[in-house]
Amino acid sequence: MHHSVTTNLSNGSAAFTVDPSLYPLDALYGAAYVFIDRCFVFLEKNAQGHVVVSLAPKKGPADQPTLEKWAGEFSNELLSCAWRHQIAANNKQALEQVTSLALAGAMGPPSLDDLSNFDFSSQPLEDPLGIAMSWEEKYKKKPKP
Amino acid sequence: MTDLISLAPKLDTSSQAFFRFRNIPNTTKTLITNYEGFYALLSKEEFERFATGTIEPNTPLHQRLSENNFLRATYDSKRAADRLWSRRQMLAQGPNLHMLVVTLRCNESCVYCHASRATMDRVDTDMSKETAEKAIDLILQSPNPNLTIEFQGGEPLVAFDVVKHAIQYANEKNKKAGKQLEFTMVTNMSLMDEEKLKFLLENRVQLCTSIDGPEHLHDLQRKLPRAPGGDGVGRKDGAHATAVKWIKRINEEWQKMGLDPTLYRVEALLTTTRDALPLWKEIVDTYVDLGCRALFLRPVDPFGWAEKTERKVEYPREEYLQFYKNVVDYMIELNAKGVQVLERYAAIFLSKFFGRDPNFLDLRSPAGAGIGALAYNYDGRVFSSDEGRMLHEMGDSSFEIGHVATSTYKELVGHPTVRSEVLASNLDGQPDCVNCTYNPYCGTQTAHNHKKFGTVFGRTRESTLCSVHKGIQDYLFERLAAEDPKVLDIFQKWTTNRPRTHFLQPTTPA
Repeated sequence: MHHSVTTNLSNGSAAFTVDPSLYPLDALYGAAYVFIDRCFVFLEKNAQGHVVVSLAPKKGPADQPTLEKWAGEFSNELLSCAWRHQIAANNKQALEQVTSLALAGAMGPPSLDDLSNFDFSSQPLEDPLGIAMSWEEKYKKKPKP
Repeated sequence: MTDLISLAPKLDTSSQAFFRFRNIPNTTKTLITNYEGFYALLSKEEFERFATGTIEPNTPLHQRLSENNFLRATYDSKRAADRLWSRRQMLAQGPNLHMLVVTLRCNESCVYCHASRATMDRVDTDMSKETAEKAIDLILQSPNPNLTIEFQGGEPLVAFDVVKHAIQYANEKNKKAGKQLEFTMVTNMSLMDEEKLKFLLENRVQLCTSIDGPEHLHDLQRKLPRAPGGDGVGRKDGAHATAVKWIKRINEEWQKMGLDPTLYRVEALLTTTRDALPLWKEIVDTYVDLGCRALFLRPVDPFGWAEKTERKVEYPREEYLQFYKNVVDYMIELNAKGVQVLERYAAIFLSKFFGRDPNFLDLRSPAGAGIGALAYNYDGRVFSSDEGRMLHEMGDSSFEIGHVATSTYKELVGHPTVRSEVLASNLDGQPDCVNCTYNPYCGTQTAHNHKKFGTVFGRTRESTLCSVHKGIQDYLFERLAAEDPKVLDIFQKWTTNRPRTHFLQPTTPA
């Protein structure tokens, strides 16, 4: 196992110590979440500031091969999440554009019913800076008090 | 082998435009591809000149790289945008494929059944006519001008009255919607009769069946009761003989209708099991003897019974890839002798290499779940993919996005699950895929990833889908790298798409 992730297979659970300077916390959460249907996942912080992850069986004891499988898969998932986190940040604009195109394309243009049901009073359409006001209206002389 | 690390200090970014590279196994060639999807196969010496920025102008290599947008000095933004749009235009169109599971009941019992079929007495798994109507009302709201409604099961002929009603209702409603509408049916043929056939022919329904290869293999994997049993249907033929009888009959009927017999044939699908692997030649011969022009070598998926029978039907993907090569090598031999038969994966990938994207839903980025296809279960539940529906039948409803009775069309395609799947299947956000030379041609499946890894993103390097996709593309580029004119001509023919306009429903304005 990589030295930044140490594994303890005693006590019937797989325990990891993850160095947060190598793995973003978001990646750690992402990897941990993938395992919650298979086992209980506990996250703690130790004295060195490292994150201790424990994977414990939900029912009865887990055998050594199962714990080793969880440990290996967790490490792979953690690496995958960490790299995907970085890729998503790097390619954010392209990913957002393609997603918007795909969802807008699937939905099609708004219908008249959509427009009639649209809430035009919502906050983003209010105009606190007066951008939608005419020049004359915005800069007209104010009456003297 | 070419190693970019040794070339790195010499990389001249004023010369090369963006590229990814891969050494093609069993050749001395290096493949380069760019973001928009052009490719070039280079010898070791050519690649070194490219990577070190020492290609002389006015040479054939310079011209070849320039034509494919690999050089900054001659980079043509418009050509790049056109090529990229040819791959992405399907995103602007909305779902084209709509799968109606009209029943889960099926009279055949298949060792790898992905659909979690129900026994013939489970009439509670039949779709009601009202549910079918509501599904069709939603389908016709898709902005896509071309819609295909695919009747699936179970075995759709079990609920033929629902199929008939759905076709009649869709055609009636389409008078107002004005879509280019097609119907297809995936059937084992065993419950076909004259009356049903007459209706299907008259209503231009495209028919597709399963053939697992030679009779002994097909009947081993697909059990059809021969004696009258619980389903009340007795017959002397097994599953293979029954399917073959109707394939021949339907092909003859289409010919009698004056349709081109080289174009209008019953399509057949293969599910590749472990027992199929050594029978690659017999499988091709069976398809050719049946007059089938295409064979789709689909590996077995981890859905339905295939999960329970994994130890019997599964295999390492290296063995599948050897099987794949054996089949396609043999098909190329047959084509050279004038026999027209192609492999579907090859045709899809080659079309993408050559810049003609066929919009196959599982091999695109983002994938088609929810934005290219929707699946409507017998009980009205709607899923973003058929695989998602299969998972629901296995107890996991992660991909359920609504119900025909309560959901609007826009609620379905705008569902958070669909959004997640669009993001997760974009290869530009996937580890490994983002740097893969095959990025412009490939795709991933969120439901498959969810089943295998517990996350819609999956882990590419551990995915059997990835090993299959990479292996097939390696093989195809190996054949392209050999530059055999006969093979290149055959590959070009495999990518020629001749539209089957007979299957379009006549449109009569309301």
